[in-house]
Amino acid sequence: MSTDTTSPARAPEPSAPPSRPSWWRGRTELLVAALVLGLAGFIAVQTATMPVPPGTEPPGPRFFPTLVAIFMGGVGIALTVQVVLRPARTAAEEAPAAPVAEDGATNEADESTKAGETSGDGGAAEGTGARTAETGEEAPVRIDWRRLGLVVAALVVFILLLQPVGWLLSAALLFFGVAYAMGSRRILFDIVLSLVFSSLIQLAFVAGLGLNLPSGILGGIF
Amino acid sequence: MDAFNHLMEGFANALSPEYLFLALVGVMLGTAVGVVPGLGSSMAVALLLPITFHLDPVGAFIMFAGVYYGGLFGDSTAAILMNTPGQGSAIATAIEGHRMARRGRAPQALATAAIGAFIGAIVSTTLVAFFSPAIVELALQFGPAEYFALTVFAFVATSSVVSHSVVRGLVALGIGLTISMVGIDGLSGAERFTLGIPQLFEGLSIITVTVALLAVGEVLHVAATSHASKGEDGSLRRSGTPWLGRADLRRTLPAWGRGTLFGLPFGSIPAGGAEIPTFLAFGTERKLAARRARRGTGADEFGDGAIEGVAAPEAAASATAGTAMGTLLGLGLPTSATAAIMLAAFQQYGMQPGPLLFERDGDLVWALLASLFIGSVMLLILNLPFAPLWAKLLLVPKPYMYAGIAVFSSLGVYAAASSMVDLWLMLILGLLALMMRRFDIPLAPVLIAVVLGPVAELELRRALAVGQGDVSVLVDSGITVGIYGLLVAIGLTVAIGRVRARRAARGKAPVEAGRG
Repeated sequence: MSTDTTSPARAPEPSAPPSRPSWWRGRTELLVAALVLGLAGFIAVQTATMPVPPGTEPPGPRFFPTLVAIFMGGVGIALTVQVVLRPARTAAEEAPAAPVAEDGATNEADESTKAGETSGDGGAAEGTGARTAETGEEAPVRIDWRRLGLVVAALVVFILLLQPVGWLLSAALLFFGVAYAMGSRRILFDIVLSLVFSSLIQLAFVAGLGLNLPSGILGGIF
Repeated sequence: MDAFNHLMEGFANALSPEYLFLALVGVMLGTAVGVVPGLGSSMAVALLLPITFHLDPVGAFIMFAGVYYGGLFGDSTAAILMNTPGQGSAIATAIEGHRMARRGRAPQALATAAIGAFIGAIVSTTLVAFFSPAIVELALQFGPAEYFALTVFAFVATSSVVSHSVVRGLVALGIGLTISMVGIDGLSGAERFTLGIPQLFEGLSIITVTVALLAVGEVLHVAATSHASKGEDGSLRRSGTPWLGRADLRRTLPAWGRGTLFGLPFGSIPAGGAEIPTFLAFGTERKLAARRARRGTGADEFGDGAIEGVAAPEAAASATAGTAMGTLLGLGLPTSATAAIMLAAFQQYGMQPGPLLFERDGDLVWALLASLFIGSVMLLILNLPFAPLWAKLLLVPKPYMYAGIAVFSSLGVYAAASSMVDLWLMLILGLLALMMRRFDIPLAPVLIAVVLGPVAELELRRALAVGQGDVSVLVDSGITVGIYGLLVAIGLTVAIGRVRARRAARGKAPVEAGRG
């Protein structure tokens, strides 16, 4: 059975306060409602303080944002009410059994054991989660914060390095980082593959199509 | 016949070796992206946008059309073999198609899908080519109030009719409208929601938004949840002849026709793409099969791989894609997420789709329409015998596939404007997309709102300025009343149809079979 009882302690954003997990369970969507209401507030404040150029015709630049702010406020409240009254079905209720044998293709099984090991270090038990239903409906699945964090980190490093270091190396690093995060462990092969991939793109788009990619520290060579 | 002559000129233009080559590259790349699990035609168009940056407009749009249709074909291949539809349009196909594949009838399912998509595309493109003068005629009567009514129609239809939960659809719509307001207001010159960042003065680029929401969001989503995902190992890729027997053809031929009929009208109204018509077509086939079984004139195979269940939705999906192109070209109105990206691409070249496009860039429009025919033929040739080969792409290990998507997304976003701000926005919006997917909030309304939001605001303000603040100008003409009336009617019909289609998709509910 799924053991999705506590929120992972290493969560980078406050997904749920640990004190009352029973109430918050299935209601983490309140975060979205908070975001929507926050956006509504942001639009409202910005609209109210917006400097309007003199001589603007009556339905001016504030008119539409005001409508959107009201709309967002209404939708945010409606979502809050809906989530509080009808919390989402949790993974535990949705998936009565672990994935059955016919679905457990070998490489998938491999991966889930890997994921189980890695998150085991963190002290959280690995939930079986819910499977994609035949209709394409998805029940909430526990988020793998470690993998997600790695991918986001790879993207952040790529953006920071792109201009100083150049496309070739930073894109290779991005490729390697995402591949590693997704569970690839053939380090040496991956390094070579990443470099080949980013060089191919550099060749095809800069030399072939004339796009402008930052060359960075390798600028002298190319 | 005027349209016919124009179309022939278009063919003469599109059949040049250079454009044929671009069309071929487009359909190949589109199919390749579509085959990737979780990616569909709109992501194919968004991801492949940078490739077309340095082509001339005609070549770029010929390639786009190929990518669009190729994405549809590829997506149904993935749906049938892996049960991983990348877009709403392929979900209905996946239901029976994947069951056929499990029974060892994968080649027949793929062939049925390919031919169905071909028929839908050819019929709808023909209609578009010959009715576009009429669409343009209609569009010329549109004023600000009429265009505003159309955008409202698009907003309501995509956000509340198409999504599973009305509130979540409206949340997506609001987020999209918020994104669309960033930048300098065109009418007054006021700076809005830019936080003083100069790179935001021109607003967020649709390319950044699309790639971030669809591609980066998909990578993050897979990274966050792949430990719990299910998938086939590809053992269903079986060789075998894709030829349909006479018994199969007798069942698929009428289904293709019915599916096409369902798809045609839905492409021309902004109801969020192909999800509704595909499910309507699917539900109809199910009911017809049940009736045949009761009369003893045929077997009802639904639930265990019925070929009609593949034929009809596939034809409906590609018929929708065809008429959606017509609506985009004639009215300037994107009726699906993919069409919204195409619209952005037009704007990239300084062109505004709509009635004037036919006058100003007639060559481009007719060459594009001709290339839709050419692309469909190419796809049929590429897919009928070689669909199992395309499926080999599924053998690329997942880490490399998604690493490649991440690199390619960054390339597309950066290359569009050489702006670092765009890359940060891509990351932020990617995380937003992950959150939205986690809570089942649809992404398509965001894209529609980002593209149509400025149109809606502009036309609303124009209409109100003309009416000097009198709100009744918005419902002053027969056309606006007609549009709002149609919206209400469709809302009701679709609500009923959806309940039925869902019930049908859920399996053989005894209640349903009894009523049939």
